Amino acid sequence: MMENGKIVTIPAVATIDEIKDEIPNVRTYYLSFDDKAIDGAFTFRSGQFIMLTVFGEGECAISLPPSPEKDRFHITVRSVGKVTRALGGLSAGDKVGVRGPFGNGFPFDEIKGKNVVFVAGGIGLIPLRSSIVHVLQHRKDFGRVILLSGSRTPSDIMYKYNMKEWQENCEAFYTVDNPTPDWTGETGFVHTLIEKAKVPVENTVAFVCGPPVMFNTVNQELMKRGLSDEFIISTLERHMKCGVGKCQHCAVGRTLVCTDGPVYTYRQIKILGEQI
Amino acid sequence: MYLIKKSDVLRLAEELGKTHDLYGPFMEPATKQAMFERVGKAADIDLAAPIPALPPKHALLPHYEKILAYSYDKKTQKVDLAPIYDDRPKALFGVRPCDLTGILCLDRFFLGQEFLDEVYKYHRKNLFIVSQTCVAPFKQCFCVCCDGGPAASEGYDLNLTDLGDTYLVEAGSEKGKKLAEAMGLAAADAKHQAEKTRRIDKCITLFDSVATDNKAWISRVMNRVTTGFIDEAVWEYIGNQCFECGACSFVCPTCSCFNIVDLPRKNGGAHESDRVRTWDSCSYEGYTREAGGHNPRKPVEDRRNKRFFCKLSYSQSKKYLRPGCVGCGRCQWVCPGDIGLPNVVTYIRREIHS
Repeated sequence: MMENGKIVTIPAVATIDEIKDEIPNVRTYYLSFDDKAIDGAFTFRSGQFIMLTVFGEGECAISLPPSPEKDRFHITVRSVGKVTRALGGLSAGDKVGVRGPFGNGFPFDEIKGKNVVFVAGGIGLIPLRSSIVHVLQHRKDFGRVILLSGSRTPSDIMYKYNMKEWQENCEAFYTVDNPTPDWTGETGFVHTLIEKAKVPVENTVAFVCGPPVMFNTVNQELMKRGLSDEFIISTLERHMKCGVGKCQHCAVGRTLVCTDGPVYTYRQIKILGEQI
Repeated sequence: MYLIKKSDVLRLAEELGKTHDLYGPFMEPATKQAMFERVGKAADIDLAAPIPALPPKHALLPHYEKILAYSYDKKTQKVDLAPIYDDRPKALFGVRPCDLTGILCLDRFFLGQEFLDEVYKYHRKNLFIVSQTCVAPFKQCFCVCCDGGPAASEGYDLNLTDLGDTYLVEAGSEKGKKLAEAMGLAAADAKHQAEKTRRIDKCITLFDSVATDNKAWISRVMNRVTTGFIDEAVWEYIGNQCFECGACSFVCPTCSCFNIVDLPRKNGGAHESDRVRTWDSCSYEGYTREAGGHNPRKPVEDRRNKRFFCKLSYSQSKKYLRPGCVGCGRCQWVCPGDIGLPNVVTYIRREIHS
């Protein structure tokens, strides 16, 4: 049952239509709701998340990588914990439960006309994919669009099959920490690309997502160039149980990541004064 | 306003017990502690029992509760989901004002925010609350510092005040009034009301000599806690004393954090599971640990200051429409590390003065 366009309490049953292997241990699951009414009514904003139930195992928060418009509904998940490992054991045709969408989403209306810089570390590219595809779908609404992606090794690069398309439609740079002999691209951590890409700071907004160490280094580098912390936007990850502001596990300062986030500016994060 | 003879007061409980699951305070012989639990019969209730060890929040937010029963058969791909809502009529008889204040905080938190908590809503649906005015404080009490007592001003269906050989009975809702009328209670007048006021005033003057364990000048620290201008060393000092046992959360009338786990159903089929909601505490290290092992709030002091932020900040008060502490003194009572809320307030005030 949906309330205000959200599935709040009881998960809606969805079928895994197709599973695609991405990088090692990461798979994409294409989903459709069994209830056709929900399938038609389910909409979301870039940056929102769902609570995914793997039956018999539990529930966890999962970001939404598809663009809100003209994109097949899917989630991309690395098998890490109890629930996501169990998800990794499912096959096409199996059922899962979905609640959501929850959270605030990226502020697209406010950033129209600006240069957009996406900086992703590893699978940090998954929650950013929604916005990347959305921005590229509305390419003329934005100034320069730059994508900086850092991965451990060439085989850890997310969405490698989109690389050519993204390099054609925006300024996309890829780097790896540990290159293989056949790697011809950049080498080094992702923050080194900021200089190479000549990232602008005027009229610019940066979307940063990745592990905590990468997040801090990239933000320092961007601010050193002169980008204000209120134009550095990120999405936080937290252990969550309810998704609707009641269990309080995801509290960051006075806010809850599930209802006030997961999208925050770096300035907000600094004021809230908690570790990433 | 009505009157009921002291010897007759449990007739009210008896009447409620006919249509409700009856909860009330009593002395537990084994532990010699006052408890507030479901009772077998009205006569088991002891209104003179001291403040119970646990607040009655478990009637609305049980320690352990199944909220969803489901089955998923992979062979047939059949999924059955059956939510479990508990709307049994429950009557809480003899609730202390601080605990009633706690319930009102939970109401506002679970029913008054962006999302409404369905499970709580059903627990609350058919609840009947009979509160009682405290005519004397206990050693641990500091409700007068937090506007949590000693008399309830809202939220009850009936409120009892001990006037000596009678109880003054005030109705706070239509269903409370209906019950009092149906019981044929005698009417009270302004004289009885004045006697109630006199007894509350007397109770407040007794705090100095009786409630000697705790004082908490919370208004003095709310600003600091909200803005975060408290020396890290203070939180570290507090964190170093924390045993991470979670007792403060469990005895707190306003602590409501919960965990959710899916478990295979006991004696159920291979495909059957239950979604279970249990009490949780922000003092546990695993509370914020993510699946990959990363824990953004690993040091204990980071978790401790979170709890006091919940009790003492303006931001959280906006959710409760009052401070998150009701002044029952239970956290100070149970804390093995001596960092119950009143002590924490003292530590922060000391830092302000130094």
